[in-house]
Amino acid sequence: MDRVFGDKKAISLFVLPTLILFVAIIIAPIFLSGYYSLLKWDGIGKGVFIGIKNYRDLFINNSDGFGKSVGNSIILALLSIFIQLPVALILALVLARGMKGEGFYRTVYFIPVIMSTVVIGQLWLKIYNPDYGLLNSLLKGIGLKSLASDWLGDTNKALISVFIPIIWQYTGYHMLLMYASAKSVSEEIYEAARIDGASSFTTAVRITIPMIMPMIEVCITFAVIGSLKIFDLVWILTRGGPLHATEVPSTLMYNTIFNQYQYGYGSSISIFIIAECLIFTLILQRVFKSKS
Amino acid sequence: MNFDVKKMNRTDIAKVLLLRCKRNIIKGGQFFMNKLLMKAISLSVAMVFVLSLAACGTSNPSSTATTVSETSEATVTATVTPKPVTLTLWHQWAAPNDGNTKSFRAVLDAWNQKNPSSNIEDDGIDGESYKTKIKTAIAANEAPDIFYSWGAGFSKPFIAANAVLPLDEYLKDGTSDKLLGGALANVTYNGKVYGLPTSLSVASLYCNKELFDKNGIKIPTTFDELIDAAKAFSAKGIIPIDVGEKDLWPGMYWYDILALRTAGAQGCQDALNKTASFDAQPFKDAAAKLQDLVNAKAFNDSLFSNGYNEMIADFTLGKAAMCYQGNWLGGSCEDDKSLVKGKVVVVPFPTLNDDKGSADEFFGGAIDALWVSAKTENKDQAVAAVKFLTENMSNKLYEAGAGLPCWKVTGVDESKISPLTKQTVDMIKNSKGYVMWWDIFLEGKDADTHKNLVAQLFAGKITPDAYAKEMQKLNVKQ
Repeated sequence: MDRVFGDKKAISLFVLPTLILFVAIIIAPIFLSGYYSLLKWDGIGKGVFIGIKNYRDLFINNSDGFGKSVGNSIILALLSIFIQLPVALILALVLARGMKGEGFYRTVYFIPVIMSTVVIGQLWLKIYNPDYGLLNSLLKGIGLKSLASDWLGDTNKALISVFIPIIWQYTGYHMLLMYASAKSVSEEIYEAARIDGASSFTTAVRITIPMIMPMIEVCITFAVIGSLKIFDLVWILTRGGPLHATEVPSTLMYNTIFNQYQYGYGSSISIFIIAECLIFTLILQRVFKSKS
Repeated sequence: MNFDVKKMNRTDIAKVLLLRCKRNIIKGGQFFMNKLLMKAISLSVAMVFVLSLAACGTSNPSSTATTVSETSEATVTATVTPKPVTLTLWHQWAAPNDGNTKSFRAVLDAWNQKNPSSNIEDDGIDGESYKTKIKTAIAANEAPDIFYSWGAGFSKPFIAANAVLPLDEYLKDGTSDKLLGGALANVTYNGKVYGLPTSLSVASLYCNKELFDKNGIKIPTTFDELIDAAKAFSAKGIIPIDVGEKDLWPGMYWYDILALRTAGAQGCQDALNKTASFDAQPFKDAAAKLQDLVNAKAFNDSLFSNGYNEMIADFTLGKAAMCYQGNWLGGSCEDDKSLVKGKVVVVPFPTLNDDKGSADEFFGGAIDALWVSAKTENKDQAVAAVKFLTENMSNKLYEAGAGLPCWKVTGVDESKISPLTKQTVDMIKNSKGYVMWWDIFLEGKDADTHKNLVAQLFAGKITPDAYAKEMQKLNVKQ
């Protein structure tokens, strides 16, 4: 083993296939998109080079509601960090301490993650339906008829209605990551803590959480990046509507490219999303490094 | 070893964990006593990865399934050529409750039966998704041999990119005589014909007569009567008008027909062709009238969360009294599964009392068409198929009550025509002008902007004056 790890030629040989795939599928299209973002192009005919005009239209005199869509994605990121992750953490800690049916609950919480987002979207569409949906029927049934409303059609309620399925879907994913990390904490530490008379709450807060902090940092990074990029559930539930109330940068990009034939402008939105994710990753890494 | 947790710092704890890890790995490693077994397993895993990668490279589901064949000299009939080919056709008639689907399937099966060596493999997906699919395919040079598309502004970029085959020389065999006047208006670009229309579409007001009669309300012929009817139904808890505004275009139909009434067909054409301004009184009036309807609670509360499919479903379940839609709605109403079969009548959209528009001007035109890709390898078979399909669909849709003919009618049993179609045909007999759906006439961003502005009118978030100003921006940009 040591011989292989030391031999630089062997390393480069084994890394090469994946590197080629990575460059071809991920890096090259990013550069292509960057090039397209400098064109005025409808995606089908010929493109005209216009420099950074697309970016100026995006940031300076924007008429698409781009700023609002970025705001929406940041709201989702904050909701993920402050609601989704704490819930996932609590579930992970409870399960990791060992209880009856641990395997069963672990599977159940993870099922939304492996379900297709289209299926989840259709499910929630039917739950939110104002005429026969589950939510309104439930509210009417328990006498709260005044609360029943058009969840996905009301501009004030649509955003939070769209975010709830998103948060619900990936809680299990973060829970599983934290659970695995919590499981790897040595049992002897817990024994020692018990001998010293620590309650399970103190154990969780003072021992487990600090020990799985690297994993929590990873989860925060995933949650933030995922929220900035979110597309599928938003598209299925509302297509970015009603009246752009639930618009996020990726739905805006999709509409711009496919409904408005503006491939160049849409590419500039995609480059912005990439840059935004990179910047946030760097910021988070700085924050975590300074904390430890 | 003694662990005093309070005195341990993170490095100590990490060391302990690492030690335990190493111990576990060694214990686990001893399981695989047989080195040979390990080698065999790792080798087979590597093989599986390599093979799956190779398989990924060769499978390409979007490539055309045509086998390369040398086409014989173009004798343009529906007869077979020596080598069998499979043509690919994409369309938007996937929903079983869509009025067009059944007719299309019948005509397609007839072609496949008569032409076993030019069989058509078809692929359908619903309307809005289809728009994205066909645009992407054409941009990527992966268009099928034959595809459905809307004419006018929608397909204009395709023609500009030379992705569509011009059909003029194929029509010289007498085909052009079989088409009704004006049928090719929306499929002709720069003087050349690029597609053949499948049917004439006209939008009219569909009224659930049973609901009107049961509640003693008169079917409206003027706008004021429409408002009264809306208020009356709303008071009884019945949805007066169903509109699926989530998809944006059903609501657009309402604004566009009101504009047709206030500005007249010529007025609309001029504004759409940029020779007149949208920032004019008639267009502001149309916007104001639309907001009058909204304020009278004429539309369903769920208009922003219901799309086209839900709207059709609700109307054919008898939940709403009126729906302003294209004549394909007739096919859905007369379907055996519809609960309103035989209960719906079709009337022209109400007139406004003091305007230039009259009830003889209609919203619609021959816009649905089949086109042949310029890159197809089987031009003659594809064109022959398109001619057969479009002419027979024109007849079949007419028979089924889902379309109006744009080809001369042949072989249709007039007695089987549904009453809804007869009413529509009677209605348009004296038509004086047509205006095409604005979101197809306009191109790209303009179409999207228009639909979004109308949506804002529905939500009461924009005044008619501001709306007209924003619409005019479409005409004065670079």
